[in-house]
Amino acid sequence: MAKKSTAVHPAAAENVTAENVPAAAQAAPAGVRHGCTCEGNPLLPQICRVIRITQETPDVKTFRIQTPDGGKPFDPMPGQLAMISVMGAGEAMFSITAKGDDWLESSIKRVGALTDALHGLAEGDLIGLRGPYGNHFPVDAIKGKDILFVGGGIGLAPVRSLIRYALEHRTDYGQLDVLYGSRSYADLVFKADIFENWPGKCNTHITIDNAEDAWDGHVGFVPSYLEEKAFSPEGKVVVLCGPPIMIKFCLDSLMKMGFSKENVITTLEMRMKCGIGKCGRCNIGSKYVCLDGPVFSMSELDELPDEK
Amino acid sequence: MELKKEKLPEALALLQSDARLFLPAEADGLPQFTVWDGKQAPCLSGNPPLPPKDVLFPRSEKMYGYNLSTGDVADLASPEKQVIFGIRPCDVKSIEKLDRAFLEKGYADSYYRTRREQLTTLSLGCTEAARTCFCESMGLDPADAPGADLMLNDAGDAFSVKSNSEKGEAVLARWGKLLTEDADKDAKGAGKDVSVHCAFKVDLPADLPERLTARFEDPAWAALSRACLGCGCCSYICPTCYCFDIGQENRGAEGTAFRCWDSCMFSDYSRMAGGHNPRPSKRERLRNRYLHKLAYFNERYGTTLCVGCGRCVDKCPAHLDITKVIETVGGER
Repeated sequence: MAKKSTAVHPAAAENVTAENVPAAAQAAPAGVRHGCTCEGNPLLPQICRVIRITQETPDVKTFRIQTPDGGKPFDPMPGQLAMISVMGAGEAMFSITAKGDDWLESSIKRVGALTDALHGLAEGDLIGLRGPYGNHFPVDAIKGKDILFVGGGIGLAPVRSLIRYALEHRTDYGQLDVLYGSRSYADLVFKADIFENWPGKCNTHITIDNAEDAWDGHVGFVPSYLEEKAFSPEGKVVVLCGPPIMIKFCLDSLMKMGFSKENVITTLEMRMKCGIGKCGRCNIGSKYVCLDGPVFSMSELDELPDEK
Repeated sequence: MELKKEKLPEALALLQSDARLFLPAEADGLPQFTVWDGKQAPCLSGNPPLPPKDVLFPRSEKMYGYNLSTGDVADLASPEKQVIFGIRPCDVKSIEKLDRAFLEKGYADSYYRTRREQLTTLSLGCTEAARTCFCESMGLDPADAPGADLMLNDAGDAFSVKSNSEKGEAVLARWGKLLTEDADKDAKGAGKDVSVHCAFKVDLPADLPERLTARFEDPAWAALSRACLGCGCCSYICPTCYCFDIGQENRGAEGTAFRCWDSCMFSDYSRMAGGHNPRPSKRERLRNRYLHKLAYFNERYGTTLCVGCGRCVDKCPAHLDITKVIETVGGER
C-alpha cells in the first residue's frame, strides 16, 4: 500500500472551495471539479473512524465520523452527500446531516444489507468515506429570507445540515421555523435538537401521527399541521424532505397556501454507485441526482420526467 | 504516405515493442479485439461482434486496495501504454462519446482518463458495409475517422496512412522507413480508391430528442418492451454503453474495490434499499436506455449516444434494436 489517504484538500490548488461550489440553481461547470479529498481520484475513499454512535430511534442511528488522526474528513456544504462503505459489505450514499470542527455526522435508517452492517458497527470501528458529492442547499440565494423547514421521519436528516448552518449564520436569515413529524414519539429523530437545542433559537413545531399517553404535543400528519399553522408565503422559502407521499401532500398544501414551486426546495434519493455522474443509475432524465442534485426546487423537478 | 501490406507484421511489431497492442484477430473461435501475440493474422474484414471499449473501460477492473489496520488506501489505476490497430470509424466515434461521459461535467474519471491518455488508435477505414451497418445515418464516414490518431485505408497492395494527432505523428516517425510515398495523391487520404456506403438507412429526424421526450408516456414503449428479455446483451455489445457497478472483496483487514460493467436493463440496477425501484418494469428500463441514447445524452453533451455500428441490430435476441425504437417511437405521427 503505497499511498496513504489523507485529508489534504486538492481543492485549494484548483481554487475551488466549498463556498464557490455551484448552488442548486447553477449548472455544473465544465472541466474537473474537485471538492473532495481524493488526491485526483474522486472515487477513492479515505479510511475513517466512527467515534460516536447515537441511537436516534429504534431503526435510526447517527454516526459521528472522524479521520484516524482526529480531523474532519472533508468540509461539506449543507445538503451534500457522502459515500460510506463498510469494507466488504459495500457502500451507499447518505446525506451528511451535520459537521463539526473535526467530525461529520450521518444519520442512517436500517433498511437493507449495508445499513444492517452499519448498524452492527461499534464506536471505534473503521469505515470508508468519500465525498462530498452533489450540489448543496442554495445558502446564498436564500439569504435574507425566512426559511420553513418541513421534515417527516428520517427526512429531517438532510434538512438538519441546513438548519444547523442557518443557526450558525443566524443574522443572514429571517424567521426560521422547523415543522417536523413522525409516526410516533419513538420515531422522532434528533430529539436533543428538536426539544432542547433548537427551541429558543428557532420556532419548532413537532407532531406525531397518533396520540400517545406521554405525548402532550401536537397530533396529526405533517401536511395538515402545515395548513393549520397557516404560514405566510411572503418572503419565505420552504425546505421539504420526507417520504414521497408526505412530499406530495405537503406540496398540495403549500400550493393551497400560496407558495410557488420555485420557493419549495427538496432533496432526492436514488440508488448511486459512483457519486460523480458517470455510472448511470441515478439519472432522472438528463440529470444525475448525485451530481446535479440531490437538491432541486419543485419547479426544477417539474421539468424532469416523472421517474422519482 | 502509405504502408505496403507486406510490411504490416513489421509495423505491428514496432507498435508492440513498447505498448500492449490490441487488434482484431481470431481468439476462442471468434474475431475479437485481442492482445496481439506477435504471430496472429489480423482480421481485416468486417468488425468484431464486441467493440474494443474494454481496452479503455475493462469489463472488470480493480480500483483501489485498502488496509483497515493501517488505514492505507492505494489507487490501482493502470498507466499502461496501449494501442488499438484496426478499430473502425464507428468505434473510434464511440470513444469520442465515452470521452464526453467520463471526462466532462464536473469530474473526470481517473481510471478512464489514465487509460485514455495512454491510448493510441489506428483506425482502418471500411471497404464493405455489413447489412446491419448504419453509421452513415448517424453522420459518420465509414472510410474516415477524424478522431483516430492514425487513419489507414485500403489502397490495393498498401494502406494509405494519414495522421490526425501528435500520437499519430509519433507512430509515423516510428514506422519511418517502412513507409513509402503514395502513388497517387489526393486531398483526402491519399490512395483512397474505395467508396463504401451503408445499404441500411435509418431516418433520423432532426427533432428526434424532443419527439422522444414528448412521447415519454407513449404506449409504444410498453408494446416494445414486451419482447425484451432483459438480458442486457445490448448494453454489453454497445460501444457507447458505459454503466458500471462498484463492489468490494474483503479478506480480513485487507481488500480490493473493483468496478465492472452493468446494464440499465437489469431489474436491480436502480432498485434501492428497502425495495423502491424508480424503474420497476421493462417498460421504464427500456425507455430510459433509449432516451439516454437518443435524448438525455443530447441534452447533456449535444450529441447522440449511438454510432450506427449495428451490433444491437445483429445481436438482440428479440430484434429490439435502436433502429426499431427510432422508427416506432420517433416516427412521423
